[in-house]
Amino acid sequence: MIAQYVWNGFVSGMILALPAIALTLVYGILKFPNFAFGAMMTAGAYIALVLNVNFGLSLLWSAALATIIFAMIAVVIDQTVFRQLRDRDSITLLVCSMGVSFVLENIARFIFGNAARSFDIAIARPKYLLGLKINNEQIITAIVALSAMAAIYFILRHTALGRAMRAIADNPSLAAVRGVRRENIICWTWVIAGGLTATAGVLAGMDRAIDPMLGWNYIVSTFAAAILGGLGNPVGAVVGALAVGIVEETSTLFIPPNYRQAISFLVIALLLLMRPQGLLGVATIKK
Amino acid sequence: MSAGDFILQTRDVAAGYGGGDIISNISVDVEDGKIFTVIGPNGSGKSTFIKVLAGLLRPRVGGITIGDEQIAKLSAPERVAKGVAYVPQEYNVFANLTINENLRLSTEFLKRNRQATDEQRSRVLEMFPEVGSRLTLKAGYLSGGQRQMLAFACAMMAAPVVLLLDEPSAGLAPKFVSEIFDRIKAVNQTGLTVVMIEQNVKEALRIADNVMVLVNGSPRLFVPAAEVGSHDLHKLFLG
Amino acid sequence: MASYLVTILTLVAIISILGLALNLQWGLCGMVNFGLTGFFALGAYTAAIVGLSGAGTFAATLAAVVVCSLACGLVALVSLRLSEDYLAILTLGFGEVVRLVVLNEEWLTHGSLGLPGIPRPFWGLVSEDKYEYLFLGLLALVILGLFIALEMLLRSPFGRAIRAVREDDVVAATLGKNVLMLRVKVFALGGAIIGIAGSFHAFYMTYIDPSQFQMIVTAYVFMAVIAGGRGSNSGLLLGSVLLMVAIEGTRYLKDIFNVFDATQLSAIRLIMIGLGLILLLIFRPQGCLAEYSLKIKGRESKQRDIAVQTKTRAT
Repeated sequence: MIAQYVWNGFVSGMILALPAIALTLVYGILKFPNFAFGAMMTAGAYIALVLNVNFGLSLLWSAALATIIFAMIAVVIDQTVFRQLRDRDSITLLVCSMGVSFVLENIARFIFGNAARSFDIAIARPKYLLGLKINNEQIITAIVALSAMAAIYFILRHTALGRAMRAIADNPSLAAVRGVRRENIICWTWVIAGGLTATAGVLAGMDRAIDPMLGWNYIVSTFAAAILGGLGNPVGAVVGALAVGIVEETSTLFIPPNYRQAISFLVIALLLLMRPQGLLGVATIKK
Repeated sequence: MSAGDFILQTRDVAAGYGGGDIISNISVDVEDGKIFTVIGPNGSGKSTFIKVLAGLLRPRVGGITIGDEQIAKLSAPERVAKGVAYVPQEYNVFANLTINENLRLSTEFLKRNRQATDEQRSRVLEMFPEVGSRLTLKAGYLSGGQRQMLAFACAMMAAPVVLLLDEPSAGLAPKFVSEIFDRIKAVNQTGLTVVMIEQNVKEALRIADNVMVLVNGSPRLFVPAAEVGSHDLHKLFLG
Repeated sequence: MASYLVTILTLVAIISILGLALNLQWGLCGMVNFGLTGFFALGAYTAAIVGLSGAGTFAATLAAVVVCSLACGLVALVSLRLSEDYLAILTLGFGEVVRLVVLNEEWLTHGSLGLPGIPRPFWGLVSEDKYEYLFLGLLALVILGLFIALEMLLRSPFGRAIRAVREDDVVAATLGKNVLMLRVKVFALGGAIIGIAGSFHAFYMTYIDPSQFQMIVTAYVFMAVIAGGRGSNSGLLLGSVLLMVAIEGTRYLKDIFNVFDATQLSAIRLIMIGLGLILLLIFRPQGCLAEYSLKIKGRESKQRDIAVQTKTRAT
């Protein structure tokens, strides 16, 4: 029944929302589409995997620690790589992020090989509510994702950091003359983006097998979600992610499930043709 | 005049955007508490000069001091901390932030104590009543004149010692033009030094104390405003 | 030894053809094709399918050229007035779609099993063991032809018009349709070249499967183009050679690092490609041949961007 698809789509939209927010924040503040988010999700999943399977931590602790650890790694990546290219055009940064993506993905491949792994979690029976099949992982995913989104919303709307991030995204030179130090804010942006992406990686790892190509499967969908909501608009990214998730899931009624990313591609193409600023974005003349 | 009366000084400043100097040999002494205005034809480098003062452009050579401190090597945020406030000509407010957020942001990254900030805020809202009346409105919804006032107010929030204004009357409806210059004069009366670049020579000279004429990137005249009348500005601008 | 050299040169040649396409699309026209692998696969599979149907290798190449240029033209059309970022994302998405189709439409492509037995051009003209020399010679002719054609294009009014549109994107957004259609044409032309590369790849390998068309191919081509100096076709040829030397050189690492298994070794090589790309972009964005100079233009564009941002809401 269709409600099941909508629910499943909602949950996969929850997973998508996190890297979509990360992508859109980095795009708004650093002005380039970061291709490495897929590999960053993978990295987050593997870090949590090690903590969970090798160190015996519960999935909750593994996820929390993986989020913190990867947030720091994301800052390191920015300082060593992207910082050297601050003044370059967005395509240079995009190509560079492709390089970063290769490095991250293959470090994972080097250490763990290509074999699929999974977290060490107890198998729970799915619940049935109003005729919908709801399993444990889905509930956890929804709770974690919603909490993360609430936290991000709070940061953006009610903290000085959030104001500064929005200011820099709006007008970097004006922000500078209002006393905002760009490099500091950029570091915090990567902490947030890295943390979100790592968390998403863990959630994805609960949903499917963990292998070096884990994040790759989400790339086109993440871009679709971010573009749908308007690049640079975090609330839009969430709405876009939900829409993409539900559309992808319900499309499996007519189309083989392997073509999910093709659906997202169509979404992107249609949007760019008709309304490139996304559903919630504001029309701007880029560059 | 001794050096102690000059709050802002530049020495042999030259700057450009990579294709050669747009301004060169600029040495000015700005008197504390006075209005210093830079006028000149289009493309004379006025905008470049004020951006150099604000920290948005590094001078190729030359020094800039506030009081006794060298600030030429400081970035824009660092200069804000030293008391320099800049109001750009356009895109001078954050359209996606509310008026209140615009105001708050202006002081959030400065090391000021809470009380001083609150006091300054009250003063600013008193000086700019049109800003205080709709704090929750997104700045993008303001008209050009209102945005200019907000931009001005934000600069004032940081309790600066030098206010840099980039063509404050640009794009404003005529009725707003005299209002904004009156506001500038009022703000200056409280003791704040103002450095202003302007196209509207008449209004600028009305309130200025000292004037520099910039043509093709170099200073051609540097006199008190009262003496400007005795020079042929028209000829200067064209030459 | 000679055979090994010929193999390397053949691979260099095919990468170079892809590089010529990227140089045209990105170097001349500023349109970044992030789905290069996908279009390459499209060309290869089209050529393979047509070739296997018995229509002959010329028809196969022609089919690949037509399909790829149409695909490129269509993709470019969608993001015509938008910034480079969107085109990059769109081409990426397209590449993914091609990959999915190739993997899943088994009736057409045999999925991951691949297509064997692809015919070769001029097969039978020389003895089997001499064929690879003939093939390499053929490739060299093709590259020469493309090189000359592209140089002529650059100097033609068409080429000048493209460059003018590319230099100022802000203006481009307000230009009339005719001028913008130039971009579509250029992108489609690049697609045609990719189609040629794809068909030659299919002919050379005689067996193609999806694993030959991973994202890494896109990375290789970008590296060759950047190393040679983006926009410079002669630089590209040198860049491809340098690239191949570097990559093949790492194969010998196997002997040093024989504690690692095959997966790990290939992971190391891929990490080195990624690092190579990053280092090239940071330290030698003008290419290895040009003198190092800071990208002033990049800084100027950023200043302009900051001034031109029109995020203010219209009331």
